[in-house]
Amino acid sequence: MAESYPRFTVSDRIEHWAQVVSFTVLAITGLVQKWPELGLTDTIINWLGGIEATRLIHHIAAAVLLLAVVYHVGTAGYRLYVLRQGKLMYPSMRDAWAAIHAVGYNLGLREEPPKEGHFTFAEKAEYLSIIWGTAVMAVTGFMMWNPIATTALLPGQFIPAAKAAHGGEAILAVLAIIVWHVYHVHIKSLNMSMFNGLLTQHEMEEEHGRELDLIEVGEAEAPLPSVGVVEKRRKIFMPVYALIAIVLLGGVYLFLTFEQTAILTITPPEQVQIYQPGPTTTTTLP
Amino acid sequence: MSPIIMGGKRFGERMNRRVGLIVGLLVVGGVLAASGAAPSAASQDEQSAQLAAAVQAAVSSGTMIHPDVIATDNKTCFACHARSGLTYELPSGDSVSAVIDENKWMASEHGQQDMACVQCHTGISEYPHEQATATDLRSFVVDESKVCVDCHEEQATRVADSVHAQARAAGNQNAATCSDCHDPHYAVNPPVSRTDVPATCRECHSGIYDLYEQSVHGEALTTGNPDVPTCTDCHGVHEIQGPDNSPFRLFSPKICESCHADKKLMSKYDISTEVFNTYVSDFHGTTVLLFEKYAPDQQTDKPVCVDCHGVHDIIPPNDPRSSVFEGNLLATCQRCHPDADANFPTAWLGHYEPDPHKWPLVYYVTLFYKILIPTVIGAMLLFVLLDVFGRIRRRRQHG
Repeated sequence: MAESYPRFTVSDRIEHWAQVVSFTVLAITGLVQKWPELGLTDTIINWLGGIEATRLIHHIAAAVLLLAVVYHVGTAGYRLYVLRQGKLMYPSMRDAWAAIHAVGYNLGLREEPPKEGHFTFAEKAEYLSIIWGTAVMAVTGFMMWNPIATTALLPGQFIPAAKAAHGGEAILAVLAIIVWHVYHVHIKSLNMSMFNGLLTQHEMEEEHGRELDLIEVGEAEAPLPSVGVVEKRRKIFMPVYALIAIVLLGGVYLFLTFEQTAILTITPPEQVQIYQPGPTTTTTLP
Repeated sequence: MSPIIMGGKRFGERMNRRVGLIVGLLVVGGVLAASGAAPSAASQDEQSAQLAAAVQAAVSSGTMIHPDVIATDNKTCFACHARSGLTYELPSGDSVSAVIDENKWMASEHGQQDMACVQCHTGISEYPHEQATATDLRSFVVDESKVCVDCHEEQATRVADSVHAQARAAGNQNAATCSDCHDPHYAVNPPVSRTDVPATCRECHSGIYDLYEQSVHGEALTTGNPDVPTCTDCHGVHEIQGPDNSPFRLFSPKICESCHADKKLMSKYDISTEVFNTYVSDFHGTTVLLFEKYAPDQQTDKPVCVDCHGVHDIIPPNDPRSSVFEGNLLATCQRCHPDADANFPTAWLGHYEPDPHKWPLVYYVTLFYKILIPTVIGAMLLFVLLDVFGRIRRRRQHG
């Protein structure tokens, strides 16, 4: 029996931490814009160097997150196409039953926790939420960042609607991370796998029972293809991904630089000669 | 020696200023005293004529009276200055009327307070009067106003921060001084009434007045409605601020808010009081609000109320001439967003709160999240709490 089990590669961990940093920065710099009248907002914005600086940081973090997305398209594609690990990743009815089973277990109706595979139903739910959330944030963020381009195609109302969705989704995402993610990996028990890449025996037993059982009998939930097959698929995948990445990176560049929304100077709202003696001017001897 | 012209006749031309050839005021005083009781109104003209004649006589005969014993009561001054046609000429050739309407003076605040002429005209202690240091009319007016601070220190301190004081410090002699707004001889208390303010400012700012007069505010005020802002409501009274002063522009939405968020006042005109909140909750207003907190001394390129609605010429948004009238909105947006086209203006909700009829998309997206967030987070919380509960229960069972 092994003491610990490999969970995340260095690449996985880099991806995760890029996401953690960009998400946190986006959340802080975004929520202060959502609630400009809060006292805490003042403190944070002062600390960041003003609203313009806050927006710039928000945009930079958005760019980092988008780059993380481009990278993730590569790693997820590699898992699905080259390593054929889809079986691990796709949500299924088994996950729904596992969720019900977990509720039963917590209520004392079941003796044992559900035996889950490499990715639990809780993890899959979170992953799908992140995909949904990132897509909503990216699309609505683009619309707000480029309102002229957006309204060239869509009614103007889409801009404030995008703002409503961006704000709503932000609250949903932040609360979901706090309630769901923080509970599952920090409070329930401190999961160190995003630091050292490993899960403990106890964590495997509690959360990935089916995967552990398979490992113990020398099997895999989704067996890896042979080295030769991997090599062959790699040769196809890498150039295709390179092409996709170039297109996506071009998209990111466009996203960041699409339009110059407004002029940067102040147009005086009124053109009038300030000193212009009137018809009633009289001079009184003081 | 200042040339004094009285009734068109020049006199006192070569008087020695230092000796201070004193007006024969004591002589006159003697005359008046000799006449016994206080002079009746009917005899005032006669007396002042006598006084003037005495002055003239004293001057032409070179009679000198020591300044310490000169009479400085107002009556003495009015002996000459109540007479029509008296002017004061400055070296530049500028000529000023030196006539004071005694009755109006008596009715004025200063008159009511029994102010003596020489309390303000401190440079005058002898006759013929000392030459003013100012050489032209404008600097004369400015110099004479310097005395106001002696009694009105608080106002003078506030004026020191005004756009007028700054302009004068920068060398602009046209910048208003006390007496440009407050006539020291005839002003009553309160010094300038609200409805009189625009006419006062107009004396120097007629171009702006013309715009204001046509505006929804100006039109109402000039027809006697005191609800609307007059010049000083926005610009301040003594510490008057102008548009080149960054904080003024940055904080200007709060000036508008002071009336436009007043439910009682706005209900009279059926104007929404949500205009400020809806502004602050959108991009422009959020930025301005945050900007004014962080960098109140700096300028932002985001618009404030007047950037869209106009400044002095504000008219209601349903007036086809308004810059925010539906048909004119695009042109207004394009002043800052030159590439904007037809759909762009509705990206701004026009101070409306989204509802199912006005801006349904925004309304339903907001509603969607109002339902989605508690549902999802509630389900997550429930699941997490069940897990906590299960753990506690199992720990108890298994010790």
